[in-house]
Amino acid sequence: MKKKILFFVLMGLFILSSVVVAQDVIKIGVFEPMTGPFAVGGELSMQGYRLAQMQNPTVLGKKIELVVVDNKSDKVEAANAVSRLVNHNDVVAILGSYSSGLTIPGAEVANKAKVPMVVATATNPLVTMGKEYIYRACFIDPFQGSALAKYTYNNLGIKKAAMLVDVAQDYSVGLANFYNRTYKELGGEIVSNLKYQTGDQDFSAQMTQITSTDAGALFFPGYFGDVALIATQGRELGFKGVYMGGDTLDNPKLLEIAGEHAEGVVATTFYHPDAPAATEASQIFIDEFIKEYDEEPNAVSVMTYDAYNLLISAIEKAGSTDADAIKDALASTEDFVGAGGTITIDDMGNAIRPAVVIKVVNGEFVYEATIQP
Amino acid sequence: MSKTKKQLLTTGALILLGICILWAQSNFNNYTLRILNLSAIYAILGVSLNLIFGFTGQFSLGHAGFMAIGAYTTSLLIIPKYYKEMTFLIEPLIWPFSVLQLPFIVALLLGGLFAAIFAIIIGLPVLRLRGDYLGIATLGFAEIIRVIANNIPQITNGALGLKGIPAYTNLWWTLGFTVFTIFVIKRLIASSYGRALMAIRENEIAAEAIGVSLTYHKVMSFTVSAFFAGIGGGLLASLLTTIDPRAFMFVMTFNILIVVVIGGLGSITGTVIAAFLFNFMLEYLRPIEQGFDLGFISFPEIPGLRMVTFSLALLVVIIYNQNGLMGKLEFTWQGLFDFIDRIKNPKNSDEKGVS
Repeated sequence: MKKKILFFVLMGLFILSSVVVAQDVIKIGVFEPMTGPFAVGGELSMQGYRLAQMQNPTVLGKKIELVVVDNKSDKVEAANAVSRLVNHNDVVAILGSYSSGLTIPGAEVANKAKVPMVVATATNPLVTMGKEYIYRACFIDPFQGSALAKYTYNNLGIKKAAMLVDVAQDYSVGLANFYNRTYKELGGEIVSNLKYQTGDQDFSAQMTQITSTDAGALFFPGYFGDVALIATQGRELGFKGVYMGGDTLDNPKLLEIAGEHAEGVVATTFYHPDAPAATEASQIFIDEFIKEYDEEPNAVSVMTYDAYNLLISAIEKAGSTDADAIKDALASTEDFVGAGGTITIDDMGNAIRPAVVIKVVNGEFVYEATIQP
Repeated sequence: MSKTKKQLLTTGALILLGICILWAQSNFNNYTLRILNLSAIYAILGVSLNLIFGFTGQFSLGHAGFMAIGAYTTSLLIIPKYYKEMTFLIEPLIWPFSVLQLPFIVALLLGGLFAAIFAIIIGLPVLRLRGDYLGIATLGFAEIIRVIANNIPQITNGALGLKGIPAYTNLWWTLGFTVFTIFVIKRLIASSYGRALMAIRENEIAAEAIGVSLTYHKVMSFTVSAFFAGIGGGLLASLLTTIDPRAFMFVMTFNILIVVVIGGLGSITGTVIAAFLFNFMLEYLRPIEQGFDLGFISFPEIPGLRMVTFSLALLVVIIYNQNGLMGKLEFTWQGLFDFIDRIKNPKNSDEKGVS
């Protein structure tokens, strides 16, 4: 009997939930990791989308509805989620996921179904490669890696560097590879190239070895939690060189965990309010973000905010919700003014935009330099 | 019921399945097809895990490891040369994988074979352990495979994973292999080997006392199970078109374990039903976490609510039906006719049981 009651309650929920009042809306799908190991990234991404939607709720005179599906930080679910958005929810376009590993299977499905997709923060080159319906608002890893290598060699004048790579993260491995390549081309020398895995707690073996070399800089392109531990343990073991990392380090949590040891960390990121690349939209974004969420904006939210607006402006320009018209509008994007800087889309579907170098000074990220593509 | 009649019915059912696939491929949308494919792959994985866990009674948690071996082997053999050159950024792919490109079916079978070879190597020492200890050892094996995959970039491309895997997987492949898996395992169970496996499950000492070679039978069951896990992994890789070591975390094994336990340990029918139920439930429960409006009351978006609901449903099944959906029962034609018979004349029901 109890089973029957439960069954009917569940059925009732299903039926009720499927009763959606038909409205004249434009549906845009969002697939993000709302649960699982990347949930923090998904959360930050949603803040950007929501804020942009609040400011820009209509397109072509119709209301925009964001259909959010969770990809559980899982590849299989990511492909399922996009498939659902395309076939079940009939979305006009899709906004893409945090983490390249999750975005690639999703992008594959969207491209095959000919539904345009704008990716906000996935920096792996393969996300857009060979897929004419996939575009992105951020720069790609080869550029980020080489920008950092150039900055180390040219701006800081460091000729010998060490690397500590998270072998379990595609992001880390990819970025390290591009850094390594450019740095060697410039004439620099990688004196030590060591590995760790996400979740490792003790880095004393690696850091002792690195400290024993004469490396002037340590490049550690990992996620902020691990990097905070490495930074702390490295300094305790007497490493004096400069710490460097990618866009994942632009996170207030890094400063919280590593404290004084984060001092002097150099990272590339998408934007900084003091950077010359900042536009008039930047200030509006920062003010509104603080008003809405009562916290400092982060690089991920800026990018998703821009991705949303980029897509909306493309739909506006296309004048219809036709997939090919939106795709062409996205492909021809030129000097789109976003909160993180101006975006021009190249013929591979990637954004051409400068990278911003930031540095931790007195417990805060301050603007250092801009590296042009 | 005569054997010929049963065979005729089975052939008929297979032809009907073929017609259904033909119809589904052209009429269902990609979303439904994707879930059907995934369900069929889960059925292959579930039935193979059921062989070692349900029928032989060996608590193996290494399925994700065998899937990874199958998935990597298959992918490396079917990815076009052009993509291999493009994706292997850290270190170039070693010979012979760098030049090989084989038909999908050959690659799948080789993937299964590779997984099976690993199963023999691992199985011989590990299957001496019993119960929980075996579970821990096999879980460790799966994790080792994943860590190795992260650290040999010249074969696996490390954490970057393999990309650009051709999407060959369709219903013909997945359901075809499901039928093949069920056929092989069903025949195995019905043979004298199968009886030996079940004897081992019930009581190892008693089985050994009557002359069943424990090591031989356990390793055989483990190897067959790994072979189909490898094929399942290969099909999954081609369905997703990209794999990396993170796709084969222990969560993958537990998903399949859930399917097996829900369906009923020792029931192929149950596993297949549970595999489809599992995947369709996960997708059809999505609306509840998207937030909905009932007019008078609106629910906010709660990410993860789907998993909570799903876990509750699992609990209900486990509490009210401890043996899973099917227990140890199987679908048989005889059982079906008896069932129809009982509905027609309820009075006779006491005379015949469900077989």
